[in-house]
Amino acid sequence: LSGATAAGIIRSVIGKLRTLVFLLAAVLVGPVALAVLIAGWVVVPVVAITPLVIPALVGFRYAVGGLARMDGGIANGLLGTSLTPPLRSPGRRGFWRSGLNVLSDGAFWRQQAYLVLRLTVGFAVAVAEFSLLASSLGVLMLPIWYRWSDTGSSPFPRLGAWHVDTLGRALIGIPVGIIGLAIGLLVLGPLAAGSRRLVGALLTGVEAGREPTLRQRRASLEAHAATYAVVTLALTLIWALTGHGYFWPEWTLIVLGLPLAVHALAELAVERVPPARRALAVHAAAAFSASVFFTLIWAVTSRGYFWPVWPILGLALSVAVHAIMEFGRRGRRITELEETRAGALEQQETELERIERDLHDGAQARLVALGMSLGMAEQKLATDPVAAQELLAEARRGTHEALDELRTLARGIRPPVLADRGLAAAIAALGDRTPLQVSVAVAVPRRPPRAIETAAYFVAAEALANAGKHAHATRVDIAVRESVGRLVVEIVDDGVGGADASGNGLRGLARRVEAFDGAFEVASPDGGPTTIRAVLPCAS
Amino acid sequence: VRVVIAEDLALLRDGLTRLLRDNGFDVVAAVADGDALVTSVLLERPQVAIVDIRLPPTFRDEGVRAALTLRERAPETGVLIVSQYVEHAYASELLADGRGGLGYLLKDRIMDVDDFVGAVQRVGDGGTALDAEVVAQLLSRRRADSPLDALSPRELEVLGLMAEGRSNGAIASRLVLTVGAVEKHVASILGKLHLPPSSEDHRRVLAVLAYLRDSA
Repeated sequence: LSGATAAGIIRSVIGKLRTLVFLLAAVLVGPVALAVLIAGWVVVPVVAITPLVIPALVGFRYAVGGLARMDGGIANGLLGTSLTPPLRSPGRRGFWRSGLNVLSDGAFWRQQAYLVLRLTVGFAVAVAEFSLLASSLGVLMLPIWYRWSDTGSSPFPRLGAWHVDTLGRALIGIPVGIIGLAIGLLVLGPLAAGSRRLVGALLTGVEAGREPTLRQRRASLEAHAATYAVVTLALTLIWALTGHGYFWPEWTLIVLGLPLAVHALAELAVERVPPARRALAVHAAAAFSASVFFTLIWAVTSRGYFWPVWPILGLALSVAVHAIMEFGRRGRRITELEETRAGALEQQETELERIERDLHDGAQARLVALGMSLGMAEQKLATDPVAAQELLAEARRGTHEALDELRTLARGIRPPVLADRGLAAAIAALGDRTPLQVSVAVAVPRRPPRAIETAAYFVAAEALANAGKHAHATRVDIAVRESVGRLVVEIVDDGVGGADASGNGLRGLARRVEAFDGAFEVASPDGGPTTIRAVLPCAS
Repeated sequence: VRVVIAEDLALLRDGLTRLLRDNGFDVVAAVADGDALVTSVLLERPQVAIVDIRLPPTFRDEGVRAALTLRERAPETGVLIVSQYVEHAYASELLADGRGGLGYLLKDRIMDVDDFVGAVQRVGDGGTALDAEVVAQLLSRRRADSPLDALSPRELEVLGLMAEGRSNGAIASRLVLTVGAVEKHVASILGKLHLPPSSEDHRRVLAVLAYLRDSA
């Protein structure tokens, strides 16, 4: 063994021990979390109709946040994550407001979900993993201690159906123990990865972060299934080692099977069902899993009266109501799409008309004038060379102006620098061309789809033009950022305000943005400042 | 002076070739894309390469990229970019290495034949030729408390022409001043911007450009 491999093995063993300690911490954290959650869930509804609900909510939020932060600290120390779960809910201050802040704080709900998982699944996994390792170790040592064991009626311990009463039988404990230990150690890797993903997803402060990729979601499903398999296996092993009899692990199988089934079906829905119908599909899948769950419980119990018919009817009803609402929503959505499509087409038509008019009145007219100057110069060349030279110089100036106009026009259709260098460079170039003081902050990690980029550019361009022309602004701040699959463009000026959102320019922008299913807002009180905000979807 | 041209539109390529030949330049190759440009420059080693920005196959910024390749692989060849558009972003990329022998002009400027020929010559000699529009963009990018605010309007005018790459003599005839007056303005500008005085035109221009780029 070289030093490097030895060091690697030691590192890996220490890593596994750390994971084990993190898992076992659930045994301590779980009961505290249970107490906090039950206290919160009881106290808050009880005082719900009194003003006391606000301090109760805020206190509950602090308790959940504190517990999440403590467990986050444990994860940071043992799993190498770097988390600081928030203690407080963000938002504006104020008595009533702070209650709303807590309720609308995604981090708060995620932390509760995490604590619930930690005290149920986490606790179960910790117990199962610990039992598996401890009993495997015991079985492995069987040849040493079997003869001194003294349990109950039989003087010898049992391995499955056997009484281990000879050394030969005790030696069988060695391979069984090794296999058990190997399984227990091997699953620690996936368990660590799963825990890391879970704390990363539920304990981070940022709002949802970015959506998990297909690979991450598949991996989380695999981790879930692996956990289920380990727990089942460990319990079955314990059942087998403790003598047969009533197969009690069937309860854990069924109870833990429900979340796994919902998880798997939800993943299937996300991968196979288009986004518009996803919520309904997940609902139906969850209802189906729950129905199977009740039926299974009925099957393993008395099997008399088929009571699950009632919850199943209730679930079917809820899915039916959801479906009806969904179709109503879809009807409204179709109307909305028809409207925005008509708006987009109208906008396109207006745009084409403007371009045609600009070409006709601008470059075309200039070329006609240019031709006339050249024709006259040709006539005068022989008779009056001085006048001819004058006309030629005029023709050259006219060419400059025509080119200038064509350039401006082309830029208005789609600026070349946008295609070549992206939003940051194109918006900075806009700033260069105005006398206003413009600050540009673009934080877009990857380039959005072309059409979205162009729309965002024109929002900035039009808003900047308005700021100079109508608002008499001197300073304009343009910010573009991407968050959770959305591109947000925000332009704030220090002008006089009072912009007319139904005016031609802003109406055109709104139509342009709505065509992408985006949102467009103008806030322009008299006296300023004017804020224009466009939110464009830019899922990759 | 030996020149290579890269321009994809035959009409403009032939027109430019004729214009340069009429003015005593030796056009040794006229090609239609960036790869051909790099190949023929490495083969012919001309003093100047005149390059359009939009070239096949993508018609985006091939010319800029070919120019950056040339700056690296044929440093003795001056590069003059001509384009329908001038963009500050491209100018910054091209000027980033702080060396001379570089030009970036609107295609319109070709019509002012004498001026254009002068620019080609200057780039061939290791000088610079920046379009007035690029210079205007550079000057408009100043911060709130920029030392440029201390310059008089006439000094700003002189600074702009200097940044375009023009010599004192050219500035004097453009502004209808004596060369001596221009020299006084230049000395005052360099003093206000804390730049070292330099009698050599090209080096002084590069210092001014570096200053404008950094203060933006």
